Amino acid sequence: MNEPNTDYSPSLFQQGFESLGYICNDAIAMAIYLAVKMEKPILVEGPPGVGKTELAKATSTFLNYELIRLQCYEGLDEAKALYEWKYSKQLLYTQILKDKLGDLLKGTHDLEQAITRLHEFGDIFYSEDFLEPRPLLSALKQTSGSVLLIDEIDKSDHEFESFLLEMLSDYQISIPEIGTIRATKKPIVFLTSNNTRELSDALKRRCLHLYIPFPDLALERKIIQARVPDVNEQLRKQLVNFVHNLRELDLKKQPAISETIDWARSLVLLHADALTPTLVESTLNVLLKHEEDINQARSELKQLINKKPKV
Amino acid sequence: MDRILVEFIKALRGADVRISTSEAIDGIHAAQLVGYSDKASLKTGLGVTLAKSQDEKLAFDECFDQFFKFNSLQSLSEQAPQEENLTEAQIEAALLGDVMSSDQSEMPLPGNAGSQPGQGNSPLGQMLMSGDRNALAMAMAAAGQQANVAQIRVMTQKGLYGRRMMMAMGLEALEEEMWAAEQSNVPEQRQLGAALRNARNLLRQEVKEYVERQLLLQAAEEGKKLRRDTMMQARLENLREFKDVQLLVRKLAKRLAATHSRRRKIHNRGQLNMRSTLRQSVPHDGIPFNIKWKTKRVDRPKVMAICDVSGSVSQVSRFLLMFLYSLNDVLPRVRAFAFSSRLGEVTEWFNDNSLNEALDLTLNTYGGGSTDYGGSLEDFTDICLNDIDNKTTIIMLGDARNNYGDPRTDLMKALYERSKQVIWLNPENRLRWGSGDSDMKCYLAYCTIAEECNSLRHLERVISQLLRRTQ
Repeated sequence: MNEPNTDYSPSLFQQGFESLGYICNDAIAMAIYLAVKMEKPILVEGPPGVGKTELAKATSTFLNYELIRLQCYEGLDEAKALYEWKYSKQLLYTQILKDKLGDLLKGTHDLEQAITRLHEFGDIFYSEDFLEPRPLLSALKQTSGSVLLIDEIDKSDHEFESFLLEMLSDYQISIPEIGTIRATKKPIVFLTSNNTRELSDALKRRCLHLYIPFPDLALERKIIQARVPDVNEQLRKQLVNFVHNLRELDLKKQPAISETIDWARSLVLLHADALTPTLVESTLNVLLKHEEDINQARSELKQLINKKPKV
Repeated sequence: MDRILVEFIKALRGADVRISTSEAIDGIHAAQLVGYSDKASLKTGLGVTLAKSQDEKLAFDECFDQFFKFNSLQSLSEQAPQEENLTEAQIEAALLGDVMSSDQSEMPLPGNAGSQPGQGNSPLGQMLMSGDRNALAMAMAAAGQQANVAQIRVMTQKGLYGRRMMMAMGLEALEEEMWAAEQSNVPEQRQLGAALRNARNLLRQEVKEYVERQLLLQAAEEGKKLRRDTMMQARLENLREFKDVQLLVRKLAKRLAATHSRRRKIHNRGQLNMRSTLRQSVPHDGIPFNIKWKTKRVDRPKVMAICDVSGSVSQVSRFLLMFLYSLNDVLPRVRAFAFSSRLGEVTEWFNDNSLNEALDLTLNTYGGGSTDYGGSLEDFTDICLNDIDNKTTIIMLGDARNNYGDPRTDLMKALYERSKQVIWLNPENRLRWGSGDSDMKCYLAYCTIAEECNSLRHLERVISQLLRRTQ
């Protein structure tokens, strides 16, 4: 969509994202702009469901870069994140080439000579042809630019976090058998975290930091308008107000933007024009995911629908 | 302009935002990319690069607003209104741009000196009377640099620096002119004199506020560091007077927890674990493919803390308990006992109440009364001798001053033999152990470690040792 060398500006990103249906505020656009310009990874934090992953997707579509995603989990290690040798291929090739090797070694009289001859051919079985690239490596090898999304980094172990540091600061990784591989074109790296644990200072130091909070009234209305255009003006206002009131309650899990969008969609399916207590009660399970939360909201339903939110 | 940013970063550090050098460089980079024309985007740009957590973002916002505040000169321009159709935001942007980019040793002066009647002749007088806020703000920033206001460290220097700044802005010329005008017979001149006096007073107010702001921003960091160092060394009895001591204890505890929570095992490099290696080799036909090395598991100690809460020792107990309960992550199984004449378990209180409430409750219930170590040890053995096993660490905190009662060393011996280790922390100086009614010398035989402990630094060291112990 865009040439890589155009002069970006924060507002350009904001408009670009808007055309893709991702509505964001100035802070987000500024963070992306700086990340692209300064070639730094960006650490995105915030409550679940505010569009952290979505932001990476929108960036990749907008810049027309390929999105490479690495989902983190406990026990994720190098072999799954970086590279692995294709063991079976290596084994298969040695079997097939057995005769060839026999031919090659013809005329050698002792072991030493045989090995010297083999050395002439280099480490053929440990070359890049036998390397199975995993997300990190394939992001570095992408020549036309890429967006690397390292999702939910807080779920991975401390060891993995430290392992990422080389990649994040220098955009290079070391493979013992081959050497250091540098990025041909530096990828734009997104790390997302739900803050289930504190990330190390070393990691934070290498990244820009963006915190995405729940959106304010106007922004959330705009998001609903972009994502669910079928909702009429009045209902949109009402439902966003309701969700904002809901967030002020002391809930186990607060409804995020993704839940608001789901709710708006389900209201459209039900051909609703305005919120009524019965309608809300029957669809409350789209917004709230805990039995206790639903009970708490149900007891104050009328108030929640009619009250004007604070902000 | 980098200099202003560096000063801003220093102020941020004072506000507890941790910024490394590389982050500072990033911040300057970002500021160059964003430009200084728009305050809001500069704020978001710097915020993304400098503040790396939610708390830090809040501190950053506050600090930024305070540091780049330029609308305080409003009162002056109200006094001498001018046709200005700039909006507030534009003025701010212009000011920001000026202050950031201009060479500040040069003081901008209006060129048309004395051309307007009734405007005064001294440069400062002209500036004040014209109500030119841009020029004034710049002159003030320049004077601030000239007077080195950024060096301000303590409250009492406020007057000094304010005076220096006023002098740098040309106060003398203004005052001479003011006096001359006030004494003249011409009514217009006298009016001018009154106006000048008024303007001078307003300016003095502005300068005072400017210096105060600088003090808040610049001195916060140094002051905090100084206070922290003092607190670390002060005797624990005196520590109550510091208001943020609890914060410091929590910080220390957090640091201890961070260093000790990760390493669960210590690897003995190069020592083969034969048993495990053999077991691992079974699936490979007995060929030892996976070689296992010997490791040592770092122990999560089971701690029982027995605290003397009588008299002067109670303050030390207070901090020990504070420390132990702030370490919940790495020390999940702490049991606390308090005594002076009789002993009781207070673990429950600490689990149910906030730290402060629990501490007060403990001191109220068990504090006071004459100390009886023998009786208390007896109580302790009755309550939980059976719970003590070879993983238990007993921390005894007290001065061992027993009012010449029976020390019951036989009980102490039993505890020592059953437990993994007994650590005795004594707030008294080692030289005074055993003097007067102190039974410390008798108990010393049954302690794995006996340490003098009367400052936060001592406490930190002891607890760090406790956590590092391996089985």
